[in-house]
Amino acid sequence: MIDIHDIWKIYDVGEEKIEALREISFKIERGSFISIVGHSGSGKTTLLSILGGLTKPTRGSVSIDGADIWSMNDKDLSSLRNQKIGFIFQFSSLIPTLCAVDNVALPVIYRSREHRHSWKAVYEYAEELLSTLGLKHKLKAFPSELSGGQQRRVAIARAFINKPAIIVADEPTGDLDSQSESDVMEFFSKINEQYQTTFLLVTHNLALARMTDKVHNMKDGMLLHSNNGGSP
Amino acid sequence: MNISLTSLALQNLTRRTFRTYALLLAIAIVSGAIFSTSTLMWGVNSSLSKGLSKFGADLLVVPKGSMISMKSALLTGEPSLFYMDGGIMQKIASLKGVKSVSPQLFLTSVEGNCCVMGNAFIIGFNPKTDFTVMPWLEDKLDRPFQMDDVIIGATNSYAVGDKLFFYGQDLTVYGKLGRTGIGLYDNAIFLNIDKAYSMAEESHKLPGVSPLKLVRGSVSAVLVQTEVGAKLPFISFTISKDPDIKVITAGNIITSVRQNLVTLFGSTLVMSLILILANTLMISAIFSTIVNERKRELGILRALGARKTSIFKLIVYEAAMLTSMGGLLGVFLGIVIMRIYQRTIIFNLKELNMPYLWPPVSSIVMLACIAVGAAVIVGIGGAFYPALKGSTLQPYDAIRAGE
Repeated sequence: MIDIHDIWKIYDVGEEKIEALREISFKIERGSFISIVGHSGSGKTTLLSILGGLTKPTRGSVSIDGADIWSMNDKDLSSLRNQKIGFIFQFSSLIPTLCAVDNVALPVIYRSREHRHSWKAVYEYAEELLSTLGLKHKLKAFPSELSGGQQRRVAIARAFINKPAIIVADEPTGDLDSQSESDVMEFFSKINEQYQTTFLLVTHNLALARMTDKVHNMKDGMLLHSNNGGSP
Repeated sequence: MNISLTSLALQNLTRRTFRTYALLLAIAIVSGAIFSTSTLMWGVNSSLSKGLSKFGADLLVVPKGSMISMKSALLTGEPSLFYMDGGIMQKIASLKGVKSVSPQLFLTSVEGNCCVMGNAFIIGFNPKTDFTVMPWLEDKLDRPFQMDDVIIGATNSYAVGDKLFFYGQDLTVYGKLGRTGIGLYDNAIFLNIDKAYSMAEESHKLPGVSPLKLVRGSVSAVLVQTEVGAKLPFISFTISKDPDIKVITAGNIITSVRQNLVTLFGSTLVMSLILILANTLMISAIFSTIVNERKRELGILRALGARKTSIFKLIVYEAAMLTSMGGLLGVFLGIVIMRIYQRTIIFNLKELNMPYLWPPVSSIVMLACIAVGAAVIVGIGGAFYPALKGSTLQPYDAIRAGE
């Protein structure tokens, strides 16, 4: 379970203080499929990065399974990001010197040896993920040889390589055509059901949001209200 | 190949190939200079130490005014002729603390029918009192040393058993010395001092030959071996009271060669140290740029679970790999250049009165490791601060900074 309590994020821009997030509190049950919608600059991505342990809130706490992630040291927080959270960014986030399958396997190098499967198993799973996302023929392709949509699907595969409990996705279907978008959402849904993986999606796409269990609306750094979505 | 932090760092080097090659070359030049200079210095030093340890004499007594010629003859093996009365030997032998004395008489051959070769450095020695030549025979005939025998230095092309002739005297190569790096021992031809006197006398009888100008009983140098615990400075001082002679110690020779070494290589070493510093700063500047270029990637790696130390290691590994490859390239180029120009190098060192022997392989390997190690330290030192900065970036800030 994720417990977000009284989160504030204030940026100092010169002498001005900008409140990117204000007084945000909510809870997310394990296996939830949640989306956060709002206009650009409403604080969605900032909130997602705080939940994912990427940026520290000015105030407030985020607990995952009872542990306050912002009280953790670098080792524990990095381990949490590696093993419990899978990130899908809204921009191209692949390492240009690695081929698709290596990009997918990349997070595994940061796992401790005792938590790591054999490399053979890792690569088999990476290939399986890429195949599921329609990239079986692009395993050895480098990012520069892939289209924007293909790169996005590699990044999606990478987010699942460590079988995380939580997927944090910022505009995960941004570069995808409608068919690919539908395929990806179906894949998310399958993983969600199969492993009780929690999904947190940030999106402008209201149609996509409606496919989730719950939709949180954000405006000017505040959580306005939540709606129950439809079944994805 | 499975992905790892090391392979990731290695692959990063392939991103901007021109930058990588330029850095590689810069590091190669510095490490190559360090390696070559230290190898040459090591060679001069070790050949000097090795040669002087074989020399076996604590003091060398020569006529006044011939000290520089003697040092030159000793180090380069170029013939040098000077003489003094051999009576000095008895005076020296009678001094307290002197264990033994042995004379050497310097001659040279001339071009023409009288001699098997011209400008050979021929040295007469007394086999009965000698303690510097006979002990270092590496190869010899299976019989005692005789009056018509010669012993040749290692660089001489003749072999044991070969026949030679100088000033009408037929001689047999009795033995060959091991290589010392000291010119006098490597180049000279040693023969019985009595034979040398006879040779000098015979030279006067040969038609069309410039005779050897020395008289029986004269010597060029007296080698002095002292007893264990004897006070060398005191003995040296006592001998030096004679105004017609000069005393040379092994220390004198080493000091003069080292002075030349410092003059020759000192500036190169200083330049190398300046280049090391410059390269460290260059690596630092370039890796600061690299960290800035890859901020978003570093943020992504942090999001994927990389710890601060992993990011630090990634950047430092990249620099260390680059500089170690540069170091290896430098050592390789250094070896190639030294091998190509080895004759020129040895000739020039000889001109500066510096003996030279290539260091043994183990020493060359050690010097190569030091040069590569220095290159790696340059890499780690240069990348340290950028790596620290890169590792302490907040993941989200790094990702956004790269947008």
